[in-house]
Amino acid sequence: MNDIITTACKFVTSSIGRKILVALTGACLLLFLVGHLAGNMTIFGGDVAAGDRSWIDFYATGLHSMPAWLLWSIRLGLLAVALVHIVLALVLKYENYNARTHYQKEGTLKATLSSRTMVLTGLMVFCFIVFHLWQLTFNGDPANCYQHILHAFQQPVCSIFYIIAILCLMMHVRHGLQSVLQTVGLSTRKVRPLYNIVSWAFAIVVCGAFISIPVCVMLGILK
Amino acid sequence: MANLNLTLKVWRQENAQAQGRIETYKAKNIPDEASFLEMLDIVNEELVHEGKEPIHFDHDCREGICGMCSLTINGVPHGGKKVTTCQLHMRQFKDGDTIWIEPFRAAAFPLLRDLVVDRTALDKIIAAGGFVDVRTGAAPNANNMPVRKKTADAAFDAAACIGCGACVASCKNSAAMLFTSAKAAHLNLLPQGQPEKNKRVLAMVRQMDALGFGNCTNLYECEAACPKGISVDNIAKLNRDYMIACAAEAVGVFA
Repeated sequence: MNDIITTACKFVTSSIGRKILVALTGACLLLFLVGHLAGNMTIFGGDVAAGDRSWIDFYATGLHSMPAWLLWSIRLGLLAVALVHIVLALVLKYENYNARTHYQKEGTLKATLSSRTMVLTGLMVFCFIVFHLWQLTFNGDPANCYQHILHAFQQPVCSIFYIIAILCLMMHVRHGLQSVLQTVGLSTRKVRPLYNIVSWAFAIVVCGAFISIPVCVMLGILK
Repeated sequence: MANLNLTLKVWRQENAQAQGRIETYKAKNIPDEASFLEMLDIVNEELVHEGKEPIHFDHDCREGICGMCSLTINGVPHGGKKVTTCQLHMRQFKDGDTIWIEPFRAAAFPLLRDLVVDRTALDKIIAAGGFVDVRTGAAPNANNMPVRKKTADAAFDAAACIGCGACVASCKNSAAMLFTSAKAAHLNLLPQGQPEKNKRVLAMVRQMDALGFGNCTNLYECEAACPKGISVDNIAKLNRDYMIACAAEAVGVFA
């Protein structure tokens, strides 16, 4: 038992161990993103569908009518995953900053913009999530979800903020997905180009679908 | 054949403690078949003639196999042409170019003088586990120990690492993952490396962490800068091997 604890301690303080933790929590967050998107897409069911309620209202009340212990364990679990992801990533970044001495003339051969701005786009997404929770989760009425979202996105400032934040998320996810696969050791020369394509496709499809909501509201397609 | 006239922006620093600075030199009448180091030799000869201190830089074999030459050229280690600095030829530059020449920079590579840095940290990673304990004696018979062609090729590709440190110098995080992973992979892939595999992986990774290198963020800048084309596949393999080694250590598979 002592061996296990000693090794576990060494693992979570090593560079690779912490990277693997960031990767695995990142993978959980990617899965959450897919689930969240699936729920969001019910908004395209229109205003009044299931009886006298729109699909998204139905979905939102469904989520809120979960037993409190289940709802809160999911929420706290997500919070814990996000905190591990953010805190470890920042610690690693801090170490990386200290490990460097800077060039007078910087040059880059291959590193993409999204890969070099992970912390920046990640923090943007974090700020967005805080605002998003405040605006729609804690100040929303699940029974009136459709109108609430419509009202929010009819303000161009709000819509544009959402679109910019999701574009940051897209950059983050583009590098993040293939980075997860590399860090957990699932990458080889043969499949890496494929992973790159899959990461691009995932980022474009998922983030494009998220963006489609404020865009459709602004264009008057959803009303 | 044409001769080039270049402007050099060179990092000068008297010793480890001194404040470094960029100084500008004119490199006149450089033949385009000269290597980058030969170009610096020409500039240095002129500096010596003028009674000035020549530019100090590392070099040894000058045929791209020893890993001694360094130099970050225009922000990219070895100039980013998939060759070492000694094999980089002046025909890659145009007449009138301005070239920035800086040392390989990383906190784990303390600067000694001008363009010379101390890369002992890489040797320390090797000393931690980058070897196999074998009995000495007569050379074994050929094909005594069968190795799959694919495995042999992958091990050979990893073993092509000359330990120059370009991966560390090019990395935006100054991580030594490409070096460590290549040195670990070339032994971990082969049957001779199996008995000590887990021990080796843990020792090398822990030594790498202790030496103050950064953490890999999968930018793949190292692979692009490597003069020997070492693949980041080795990094994925090291991540895998590290997980396995930690699991083995936790359950006490090896002492």
